[in-house]
Amino acid sequence: MATVMEGQDMRISPLGRVEGDLDLRVSIRDGVVTDAWTEASMFRGFEIILKGKDPQAGLIVTPRICGICGGSHLYKAAYALDTAWKTHVPQNATLIRNIAQACETLQSIPRWFYALFAIDLTNKNYAKLPEYDECVRRFAPFVGTSYEKGVTLSGKPVEVYAMFGGQWPHSSFMIPGGVMCAPTLSEVTRAIAILDYWKREWLETTWLGCSIERWLENKTWADVLTWCDENEAQHNSDCGLFVRFALRAGLDKFGQGYGSYLATGTYFQPELYENPTVDGRNAALIGRSGVYDGSQFHDFDHMNVREDTAHSFYRGETSLHPWEGRTEPIDPLEGHKQGKYSWAKSPRYLVPGKGSSVPLETGPLSRQVIAGRAATAAHQDYDPLFLDAIKTVGPSVLVRVMARMHEACKYYKLTRGWLDAVKLHENFYTKPVELAEGRGFGSTEAARGSLSDWIVLKDNKIENYQVVTPTAWNIGPRDNSGAIGPMEKAFIGAQIVDPTDPVEMGHVARSFDSCLVCTVHAYDEKTGRELSRFRIGEGS
Amino acid sequence: MASLLWFQGGACSGNTMSFLNAEEPSACDLVTDFGINVLWHPSLGLEMGDNAKRVFNDCASGKTPLDIFVFEGTVIQGPSGTGRFNMFADRPMKDWVKEMCAQAGAVVALGDCACWGGIPATEPNPVDNVGLQYLKRKHGGFLGEDFRSKWGLPVINIPGCPAHPDWVTQILVAIASGRAGDIALDELQRPQTFFKTFTQTGCTRVQFFEYKQSPVEFGQGTRTGCLFYEFGCRGPMTHSPCNRILWNRQSSKTRAGMPCTGCTEPEFPFHDLKPGTVFKTQKISGVIPKEIPNGTDHVTYMAQAAAARIAAPKWAKEDMFVV
Repeated sequence: MATVMEGQDMRISPLGRVEGDLDLRVSIRDGVVTDAWTEASMFRGFEIILKGKDPQAGLIVTPRICGICGGSHLYKAAYALDTAWKTHVPQNATLIRNIAQACETLQSIPRWFYALFAIDLTNKNYAKLPEYDECVRRFAPFVGTSYEKGVTLSGKPVEVYAMFGGQWPHSSFMIPGGVMCAPTLSEVTRAIAILDYWKREWLETTWLGCSIERWLENKTWADVLTWCDENEAQHNSDCGLFVRFALRAGLDKFGQGYGSYLATGTYFQPELYENPTVDGRNAALIGRSGVYDGSQFHDFDHMNVREDTAHSFYRGETSLHPWEGRTEPIDPLEGHKQGKYSWAKSPRYLVPGKGSSVPLETGPLSRQVIAGRAATAAHQDYDPLFLDAIKTVGPSVLVRVMARMHEACKYYKLTRGWLDAVKLHENFYTKPVELAEGRGFGSTEAARGSLSDWIVLKDNKIENYQVVTPTAWNIGPRDNSGAIGPMEKAFIGAQIVDPTDPVEMGHVARSFDSCLVCTVHAYDEKTGRELSRFRIGEGS
Repeated sequence: MASLLWFQGGACSGNTMSFLNAEEPSACDLVTDFGINVLWHPSLGLEMGDNAKRVFNDCASGKTPLDIFVFEGTVIQGPSGTGRFNMFADRPMKDWVKEMCAQAGAVVALGDCACWGGIPATEPNPVDNVGLQYLKRKHGGFLGEDFRSKWGLPVINIPGCPAHPDWVTQILVAIASGRAGDIALDELQRPQTFFKTFTQTGCTRVQFFEYKQSPVEFGQGTRTGCLFYEFGCRGPMTHSPCNRILWNRQSSKTRAGMPCTGCTEPEFPFHDLKPGTVFKTQKISGVIPKEIPNGTDHVTYMAQAAAARIAAPKWAKEDMFVV
């Protein structure tokens, strides 16, 4: 017998600031989730380790925060130093950085879908649905026909990463001023062949059942639904099957969240970012940055980011810009007494005109919503599909998943273009002057959302280093105004069909691709009795 | 049929991600072709909730025979020895680890963190991290230096940040097929079949090492030269098969122009990342490398280096890896 109070004291499952386990506690009334608390419960202290270290230590340390998006950590860590040291980055280096990071994301898309998300479609709760047997045949762990193919082929795009970076995960080949490698024709040719193999064997044949060009003709959510029934190949593809299953199972009906989104953007147009500066960043982005507050777009300004620690296991209740950020952990036992319940800080954003800072969702759906803003330059990605989706059918588990899968086609195309643009006889690196003092900001879009570093250098060493991860944006706890985090919000309203097996919570958590293994505690709101406890998550 | 349980402590999941890149055999092959029964894994486990917890408890109590326990990540001991910085299924992870290790036929520490603490144990080691049987090079670690698994084995260390998937899959297959006794371990309990050779063994830059030729800079500079002299490469002092068993079937860091950071050795990250140590060779009097290849001494090294520079043919000073 557990009371709610005991429940609050109960959860701390493994996680660091960015990676590990998440515990989730939810209240349920009449089968519907009425409140939620996400509790990140493992702490490693990377920002503490970085203090006083070599300015370039972040290139080695921050990829190890997360083995799943380590290439994205490296990408933004390099730009944090580029802006602090005022480097010159040759166009080739920007292309190689873009290619490498995009390949990490291309790896992540099928691996996440099959290994982490789609297993839940084989849950016995769905045994009565007509698509169930086919889902089991394809998505059952290890033995499902698509599972085995998708998981194994997910290693292909990072073979390309390894050609330029030496290995994936955990290379540190992006450095201020460029990249360490100088590829030859053979690397470029092999990279193209590997990516084409991956596209042919998985993306077009297994996932889509059509060419990526046909898929990318979909400009509205209605187009997507029409596409599913256009022909047998599309209807029966993994994508077609998933959409049909999701509509039947109601995955379009819950997991909405706040409906306000952040993207810090990623992939630079090489000629526009040869001298990286914080101020020049937005204009050079291909995948744009921005904030959508539910009704209008705003330009992204990193100075509007705050990290709140009111309910996080850190000293005080501060809400600071990361350049001033502090990481002073306290014993969770003490923290609980102060109403704190998570190792994640709560990133917030000062939206112009909103008065106080607000929580924002980040991830593929956020990126694709921002992509729906009218473009102002030719290099920018403009894509109206998911802005249409959230305006017509609204956000949901289904829409969030589809935004992610959609990016496979877009990033494949971008990567092919960048490979063709590399000028093999030109430079990949300009040796920088290692300035003793400075401040830098580097940011990117990891597969699962906005990922940023703020660095302060003093006397040739790191004075302060703060990392704000997509997982923190999404799973961060309540802030000092009591506003709940984006993922906490997304759980609310979901209907739990079987309280002893709340697979719906798994869908919501996994649709964010949170970097965590989650544990759900389901509480009956009236009795406070703990109904069940589940590991729902996944370590990505 | 061998049962396997896989937990993550203070981990980044990088070893799991690396493992999923495996091809011959793949992660799926281990289950379908090699009969490894994965009882549970944080990324791949199907069981949830009470079922998952039952799996853990049955392993911990010995009810379910546990053949292989794989641990990824550090054992987090803080704050003040409580382990509360890393809770797992309502208990400090370190308590689960102790119980699983007591029941397992073989214990595999996967990646630097589990072997000896890795990056999280870098000074000031904020959460009191320790590896299963080492802390950095000091024998003992979380389980103590006398620890032996049920089959009489010490912890099998598969280091690396991350470990290469083939190192993992091949050792798992060896254990599962009853060959655990065939795995010869070195003094750091690493399988010698992988860790006897050096990272430099098979490096495409080894001829430049012979003639003491360095690139002048990264990027286009790495079309020639050995990264040992200026850029801090630890290839000659690090035990790994990174240039024998290529990464992602394609390359290695040194081949791609990145200095080896020595990540299969307990001291990684070397010099605790102190200012001036990252990607820079540490030198005596600004000239002589402080650390030289294993088994040599500075006097012999300098004599050999002087001769090698004189002997260097013209091509050794030219670009080799050209378009």
